[in-house]
Amino acid sequence: MKVYVIDNGGQWTHREWRVLRNLKVDTEIIPNTAPFDRISDADAIVLSGGAPSVASDAARMGNNGEYLDKADFPILGICAGMQFLSEHFGGVLGPGAMPEFGKVELKVLCKEDLFRDLPSEFNVWASHNDEVKTVPEGFEVTAASQSCPVEAVRSLTRPIYGVQFHPEVENTENGPKIFQNFLDIVSEYR
Amino acid sequence: MSGAEIFIVRAVDSLKAKIPGKAIIACSGGVDSMVSAVLASRAIGDRLLAVYVDTGLMRKGETEEVRGMLREMGLNFRIVDASEVFFAMLKGVTDPEKKRKIIGELFIRVFEKEAKEFGAEYLVQGTIAPDWIESGDGMRDTIKSHHNVGGLPKEMGMTVVEPLWDLYKDEVREVARELGVKASERQPFPGPALSVRCLDEITRENIGIVREACFIVEDEIKKAAAQGKMELPWQYFAVLLPTRSVGVQGDRRAYGRTIAIRAVCSVDGMTATYSKIPLDVLDAMATRITNTMKDQVNRVVYDITNKPPSTIEWE
Repeated sequence: MKVYVIDNGGQWTHREWRVLRNLKVDTEIIPNTAPFDRISDADAIVLSGGAPSVASDAARMGNNGEYLDKADFPILGICAGMQFLSEHFGGVLGPGAMPEFGKVELKVLCKEDLFRDLPSEFNVWASHNDEVKTVPEGFEVTAASQSCPVEAVRSLTRPIYGVQFHPEVENTENGPKIFQNFLDIVSEYR
Repeated sequence: MSGAEIFIVRAVDSLKAKIPGKAIIACSGGVDSMVSAVLASRAIGDRLLAVYVDTGLMRKGETEEVRGMLREMGLNFRIVDASEVFFAMLKGVTDPEKKRKIIGELFIRVFEKEAKEFGAEYLVQGTIAPDWIESGDGMRDTIKSHHNVGGLPKEMGMTVVEPLWDLYKDEVREVARELGVKASERQPFPGPALSVRCLDEITRENIGIVREACFIVEDEIKKAAAQGKMELPWQYFAVLLPTRSVGVQGDRRAYGRTIAIRAVCSVDGMTATYSKIPLDVLDAMATRITNTMKDQVNRVVYDITNKPPSTIEWE
């Protein structure tokens, strides 16, 4: 299975690559400026986080939009990756009422897909200033927290998922399991 | 074969191919550079010279400890005392990024000189993933310029070889244990050394203060861990703050310096939580620092932030 990590300049992009490698997946970090042809052989892609404020600095998110439009494989957006895909499909972003840096208590609203076989509440780590204010049509919220109402989303029509927190860092509980759940989705989709 | 064993075989092969001539390795005695040195030495033998720079910014007894480790690993090595020039160039500098850039540049000048004498065209460095991630690039913000990446001057007369580029500290430690490198369990120590733990002006006196305070923090925490009072943190040290505050010592007014204690738990350095040091251990550190360093320090504070939003070191 081949899963590319699209690099949006996150501090933890390389961690995403490492977790995937540890899960024995063929993986590679690809800059977000690469044309779609470069990644069209993937079984799935992960859109990494990054420093850009997606709402005001979308140019730094490179070709993420093209990937979302052309992909016929599952996509997981993390942090800025989730914000970008939400906005791309018609959602609204804005500064978080309470920015989150570090530990967040996650409440899972839908125990399927990414959160399959996971507890209803567990600790995750986040690091973001902005958040998704309104999810796009055809999407639903799958997890939330006290300080951020949209911690995870999924599309109801395509295998597209997003998490505002960072499943790739050591301090996030069940992080590797969330990635494994994504890989299971990819296997089932193939 | 374990992951570490496979890594060693591949790294040695790749170093053999990449270094047809002579090389020097920038060796601080930390686990990253010691592992790189041992790998490179396995690949090219005596065509490798390990260079340790005594910047004057090292911890108590560090240079002697590193000398012992280099000797024990049978490496061809040289210890260069460059403290005069480091203190001269850092005089009056307080901006953390400027500090790191100056140090990176000075390191390279020393290495260039040593390389010329030895006839080396290659510079091996123990750069690991967090170093280049945090140093930033076209894609990423600069969080801090690590001396071996972001601190490097653009023009450099040597080809850089970095065998640990994709690894994190926990993976390097596994490789170190496999290679029998004693530094495997040493706590991480930044390349710019005590300079990034001294938020005040860089002088021999200020570095002396933070060196002694770091020694006390390390000593007390190691003792507490050995007694089972706490787990040994990932990293633990003291920081000298650029503030003065009022105190009272033996009925006399004092107006002295402040030391911050920092200790964190982490696996890879990319996220970290502050260590919950037992109060009696904190108490012992504060009392020992303020009593034995009474002429300099009259206040000790404890850093209780995680990474993010903080970083592990203060600069």
